[in-house]
Amino acid sequence: MHRVRCLVLVAAVCLLIGGCAFVRGTYGEEVNSMDLSSIKKGTSTRAEVATLLGAPERIVEVNDHEIFQYYRFDMKSGLLLFFSRTNVISEDVFVFFDGNGIVQDIVVGKKKPAPDMQFWPFGE
Amino acid sequence: MRRVIGSFAVCFAIAALSGCGPVIWQRFTLNQPITKDQVAFIQNGETQLSEVAKELGSPDEILNLKNRLIARYHFIDTKYFRINFGWGLRFFIPYYTPDLVLSGGGAGTDVFDVACDSKFVVQETAFAFHKSSSRFNFWPFAD
Repeated sequence: MHRVRCLVLVAAVCLLIGGCAFVRGTYGEEVNSMDLSSIKKGTSTRAEVATLLGAPERIVEVNDHEIFQYYRFDMKSGLLLFFSRTNVISEDVFVFFDGNGIVQDIVVGKKKPAPDMQFWPFGE
Repeated sequence: MRRVIGSFAVCFAIAALSGCGPVIWQRFTLNQPITKDQVAFIQNGETQLSEVAKELGSPDEILNLKNRLIARYHFIDTKYFRINFGWGLRFFIPYYTPDLVLSGGGAGTDVFDVACDSKFVVQETAFAFHKSSSRFNFWPFAD
């Protein structure tokens, strides 16, 4: 009887673990703060920015300004039994150019906290 | 013996409910919501977009409008519930498993818009709240 109980316990643990997954994923490179500090407002050109940060994922044109947008997403996902939760945090970098292709401004947000690894979908 | 059968029944129930089982509650969130207190520092006509980004993080999107731009911060909260009443039939019908699925959910999006002039000085800010549309919905036939 004791052996059967152990078998049932092992089977239950295996089944619980069987419905379990924890996943981490990122999209885009984290922009290096050294590279960003090398970009000087009023002097750096489009080509220099592209050399330092790479080609932008998106280019927006606003009032004769070009804006380079660099994406970054960080994702954590947990699945346990029949509960699943996925949290994603985005951190983009924008570089604004004037009509002559010279850096006018850089919009870099403060570092956001990494997403939480959660599986419980209820609550906040 | 009855206890053993009961234990196997519990294991079967756990198996049925785990992973790809008949029931799932799922949730997806993008970013953390921004509150009105967090944006109280913004002074229209004075604050620069880069100052806003330093406090709130970089925006998710920049839109082009006539003579100005809009920086947008997105927060998305999606909830989804699914139950498959036909799932257990796979144990009785080996080659064909009919599905009888009831599922429902909703995506709630909060947006914080920052409108700037051509010098990237904030002119206006606005919130759009739709977070209440995010909910688990068991019964898809309701109005």
